[in-house]
Amino acid sequence: MKVEYIAPFAEAAVGVFEALIGMTPERGQLKVSPSMNTMQQINVVCGLTGQLEGIVVYGMSMITADKIASKMLGQPVITFDALAASAIAELGNMVSGHSSARLASLGYECDITPPTIIRGLNVSISTTDIPAIQIPLELPDLGVFELSVSLRQRVSLAAA
Amino acid sequence: MAKRILITDDALFMRVTLKNILTQNGYEVVGEAQNGAESVAMYKQLKPDLVTMDITMPEMDGIAALKEIKSIDPEATVVMCTAMGQKNMVVEAIQAGAKDFIVKPFQPDRVVEAVGKLLAA
Repeated sequence: MKVEYIAPFAEAAVGVFEALIGMTPERGQLKVSPSMNTMQQINVVCGLTGQLEGIVVYGMSMITADKIASKMLGQPVITFDALAASAIAELGNMVSGHSSARLASLGYECDITPPTIIRGLNVSISTTDIPAIQIPLELPDLGVFELSVSLRQRVSLAAA
Repeated sequence: MAKRILITDDALFMRVTLKNILTQNGYEVVGEAQNGAESVAMYKQLKPDLVTMDITMPEMDGIAALKEIKSIDPEATVVMCTAMGQKNMVVEAIQAGAKDFIVKPFQPDRVVEAVGKLLAA
């Protein structure tokens, strides 16, 4: 897992938040974990395949998810229903899509899988043994949107 | 008579957003497909004037659905509406016959402009 893989995600997330809800998040301290795990309540999981492979998780608290979904929908979210969940999943999809465009410009062509939402605390996702790099993005008044990226170059390509 | 549009996106949020933008601008949304396979089936049945097509979807992705719709009806007007903005994806979609490519997140005006231009022709 190279640190250079996370920058496109952080840049993409900033761009998506600016275009979508008119807010610029502030990047926090980068952290490395031996495997992918999240302490957040709401997690959007996207897979990447292609020249890089692995998963990306966008984690946030329930309150932050409600507040972001409210902004996206233009109306307050009272309960985190199917529409609110879909808005948060789509946010993950947009960040992944823009990240893959940035990765492509660095020479890594990747495709993304449709997003999945996982609710619950202290989730460990063990599909790969690739270390994860996390970066929190602080959104004024909304809370923290945490990016966790666990990617590696495709084994056949790395060996070539 | 209002022009008839088929929306294709796996995200309920996107379908609701697109439907609101289109209906508020005088278009009729005749169908909402949740994946590429549904979109192809609904295209055959509904014969809409325009289709909006997401790319990343389960079952059948938007590029495959675009190709299938164009093989059924070479005159079909399909607008890609996706978060995947990389160059090779845009080129592949345009070569397969997509008339426009809108990258999400979008401003409502971008959608109205693209749809208006294609349906006025």
